[in-house]
Amino acid sequence: MPPSPAQSETPAAADRLVVAHWPHLRAEDSTPKIMWSVVAALVPALVASGYFFGGRAYMHVALAVATAVVTEAVIQRLRKKPVTIGDGSAVVTGVLVAFCLPAQARWFVPMVAAFIAIAIAKHCFGGLGCNIWNPALVGRAFVHVSFPTDMNPSSWPVLQSGHFTANVGTVAGGVPEGVDAVTSASPLKFMKDIAGGWGGDVGETLTDKLPSLWDMFVGKVGGSIGETSALLLILGAIYLIYKGWVRWQIPLAYLATVAVGALVYAYWNLSVGPELMGRYVLYHLLGGGLMLGALYMATDMVTSPLTGRGMLIFGAGCGALTILIRLYGGYPEAVCYSILLMNTAVPLIDRWTQPRIFGHEK
Amino acid sequence: MDKVTFPGGVHPPANKWTADRAAETLPVPERLVVPMAQNLGAPAKPTVKKGDTVKRGSIVGEPDGFISAAIHAPTSGTVTGIERVVDSATGRMCDAVAIEPDGLDEWAEGTNEPRDWSKMTEDGIREAVAAAGVVGMGGATFPTHVKLAPPRGKSIDTIIINGAECEPFLTSDHRLMLERAADIVTGMRICMAATVARSGLIAVEDNKPDAIEAMRAAAGGFDNTCVRVLRTKYPQGAEKQLILACLGREVPTGGLPADVGVVVQNVGTAVAIAEAVTKRRPLTERIVTVSGDATTKPGNFRVRIGTPIQALLERAGVEEGFEKLILGGPLMGKAQFTTDLYVTKGTTGILVLRRAAIYEHGPCIRCGACIRQCPSYLNPSRLSGLGESFLDGNLDAIEAAVEIGLMDCILCGVCDYVCPARRRIVHLVEMLRAERQKVTMREREKERRAAAKLKREADKVAT
Repeated sequence: MPPSPAQSETPAAADRLVVAHWPHLRAEDSTPKIMWSVVAALVPALVASGYFFGGRAYMHVALAVATAVVTEAVIQRLRKKPVTIGDGSAVVTGVLVAFCLPAQARWFVPMVAAFIAIAIAKHCFGGLGCNIWNPALVGRAFVHVSFPTDMNPSSWPVLQSGHFTANVGTVAGGVPEGVDAVTSASPLKFMKDIAGGWGGDVGETLTDKLPSLWDMFVGKVGGSIGETSALLLILGAIYLIYKGWVRWQIPLAYLATVAVGALVYAYWNLSVGPELMGRYVLYHLLGGGLMLGALYMATDMVTSPLTGRGMLIFGAGCGALTILIRLYGGYPEAVCYSILLMNTAVPLIDRWTQPRIFGHEK
Repeated sequence: MDKVTFPGGVHPPANKWTADRAAETLPVPERLVVPMAQNLGAPAKPTVKKGDTVKRGSIVGEPDGFISAAIHAPTSGTVTGIERVVDSATGRMCDAVAIEPDGLDEWAEGTNEPRDWSKMTEDGIREAVAAAGVVGMGGATFPTHVKLAPPRGKSIDTIIINGAECEPFLTSDHRLMLERAADIVTGMRICMAATVARSGLIAVEDNKPDAIEAMRAAAGGFDNTCVRVLRTKYPQGAEKQLILACLGREVPTGGLPADVGVVVQNVGTAVAIAEAVTKRRPLTERIVTVSGDATTKPGNFRVRIGTPIQALLERAGVEEGFEKLILGGPLMGKAQFTTDLYVTKGTTGILVLRRAAIYEHGPCIRCGACIRQCPSYLNPSRLSGLGESFLDGNLDAIEAAVEIGLMDCILCGVCDYVCPARRRIVHLVEMLRAERQKVTMREREKERRAAAKLKREADKVAT
């Protein structure tokens, strides 16, 4: 192209002067920093999962992470995009998808889940930042319907206190070696029984049949690898909320809605005293994947609303769906599908909750 | 009085290294080059030619249009020619008057004489300000006499003198408040007289307690004037955010501060107004902060307009091999591609950085930080998405962006600053605005042609 007159009179640029649009200053937060911090926040729960469920828990996490990272790299190559596996987002997905699988699932289940999460839920929609649904939950939903025996909560080992082992290592169906007792129900199954009215005496279920609240809080109960220890999940989340990478609105609205829903249900339907009502609410909060979902899945930036008000609506919606499915649905665990359904509503919520622009009337 | 502020904004590291360095007056350099593009709006037209002799304060460039300002010779000497130089604000080329000083530094006739302004009319003040070529010295360079003439039907009740200086590194306003507090107050009172405003506020961020004290002492003796302490936060000095913080008034979209009864002037502008009105001195000098990690002797320098930037770099002990030269602060300053530049009325500071940080940008991860911090309450994430969509060929993106506040953005760069994906949101917003301008121009041209065609046909029928 011949130089235009305007160009020809331009003086020669000084050596190595870099020109860019303002601002010339950026804060320190970056996408990789946020993603790796989420990984760091999940490490305590990850370490504990091995303690509660044995080396197989680590194996699942390793397989899921490796599959997620390799899938991401291969797809980015195929799409002729820069390979960004170093940003940690695939690692987060891998850890989270493994966290919602039970330890006794067969070895390929975490790999299938991680592959679906990255290939279908993330890259089919355009990659990081473009997906509508939480990739880890899509992966989990996929294996949940594909390999129901691996995922069936009624066959999950419930490790009684004092007898849990560091080696739960066999497939669904058999009694894992070294496990003294395998009961037929997870805490949420008992809750389902209460809701269905076939669990016998409600008070007895709440005080005797269910694992102690303390065991549920620290994670010494059956369930998926990473979902059981409310304590460690909350610790990690406090760090992320302090750093501002998880907004308090979603977990608060989510947990509060579940608690209020459970309380209202208990008040109207269970003829128990205030203390048992409180226990009932706490079992709902600590049971199943609620903590993992409310603190780490629903708060995924990409698939949650942009504004604080939107986050409150989103969290309340997740909570309402969760408690409705738990109480009236045909299925004890509800967190995964509640969040996926609310993910679908995020564009709409964002549209409703746009802030008023400076100088405009509402 | 409580400290006041606005919603949103950020706290970048202040780096005000030069806050305690008194403004040092630099000698008039051997050659001055006075660019004609020194104000927002139309550049001035040179009125001198090679060989003309000029004195300090004599006109070398006349305003060209309503939003334009006169430019004066910064010292006495001989015009050596009209040159083409880079306009540091836009990167485009503009005319400039080159002057070889004669060393006498004599003021022109009719300038540099005391004047009692107490009996001047409002129009008289505006004329005096216009004649002195005063423009907004906080960097925006809007002609001050235009600002002091509120649109018909709007009455002004408050003058706000902007001493926020919220940009990191810059300290020229800070020094001015310490060294010229009385002149700032005089400038404010002149503005109040010109607009018949009842009250005057001097707004200073709380990271400058000495300036707050100095301004309080200077303003103390006058009625209806006070110092308002602002919380330190970027962009506290942005006009609309400043008015909101000080008075709780929100300038309506597309409107001016005059719509809420306010005129805002920077502290440097206030001093220039005082000089113009009380001493008949045209604007020929300003204070420039030179800072950044490539300077070994950063400082504040009082220099003549037209001083080569290189002279300032030398004075500040800039080491060779720096990678970034920014005129203004690190958040809204303009990166330059050459050092062949000259001080203008809008040169608040020169930032020289040893290393240019180059940020890789990624996709938006919808963290929402930009929305939480945007001082205009916009959705920068969506605006930048529409910018990229436009680049992908979606021409409707412009209108979609206008609907979500494209024209309400103040380009402060807070969204880019907080973005963890290091997106270039402001750049995309400016691009969308420029593209919209093109579309508007094309449409006007189409309308003009259609009207002309109609007229021709009508004429044909008539004959």
